[in-house]
Amino acid sequence: MEINSFGPIDIAVSGLKAFGRQMEIVSSNVANARTTDAGNGEPYRRLEAIFKTSTDGISGVELDDVAEDMSDFEKMLSPGSPGADAGGYVSMPNVQLPTELINLNLASRGYQANAAILKRYQKMVESSLELLK
Amino acid sequence: MAINFNPDISSMISKAAELKTQGVAEVQNKGNFGKAITGYLQDVNDQQDQANTSITELLSGKNKDINSVVASVAKADMSFKLLVGVRNKLVQAYQETMKMQI
Repeated sequence: MEINSFGPIDIAVSGLKAFGRQMEIVSSNVANARTTDAGNGEPYRRLEAIFKTSTDGISGVELDDVAEDMSDFEKMLSPGSPGADAGGYVSMPNVQLPTELINLNLASRGYQANAAILKRYQKMVESSLELLK
Repeated sequence: MAINFNPDISSMISKAAELKTQGVAEVQNKGNFGKAITGYLQDVNDQQDQANTSITELLSGKNKDINSVVASVAKADMSFKLLVGVRNKLVQAYQETMKMQI
């Protein structure tokens, strides 16, 4: 197998990008936690990042798809609201803030872990170069 | 952006060993080691250029992905450090040779 010293860098950076995208999705969910109109007559539907490997074997990661969470919308009693149905209920997004905060932590920790790998790998290469001296 | 890069200088060393076994005339004709160094120098220069371009693109708003910039700068930095290491070793070898008693 061909040795590619930039392999770990590419993989760690793909991880950084992937978790950065996940952060983007989490922030979209949190920002739209109370959005009753997503433009299609429905409230905002929670999004979820789905990752896949870039290649077979040793591989980086990439965002495969941004899937919609198909669970039921929440019903909130608000008879005075213009969007209320006959029973006085309004459909609210299926975003659960505690879940989003957990995902936020996961994305942030994943990002940090990939950054740590990148940093450590640079140190490893530097110690190899020390041998030249 | 796959830049294949071999940090072990064994290929260069084997080229140097190859030169050693060849006659002096042949060495002058071929200059393999010099070519290897010049080629590597060119590669490192290209990577530095690439890193520079990506920084400029990020700052000018053309590219909004900071992680690609990190990747290209990290690669350029790594290759440059190797180049400096090899260069120092070469200078050291030259100085050792000059100190030799004739």
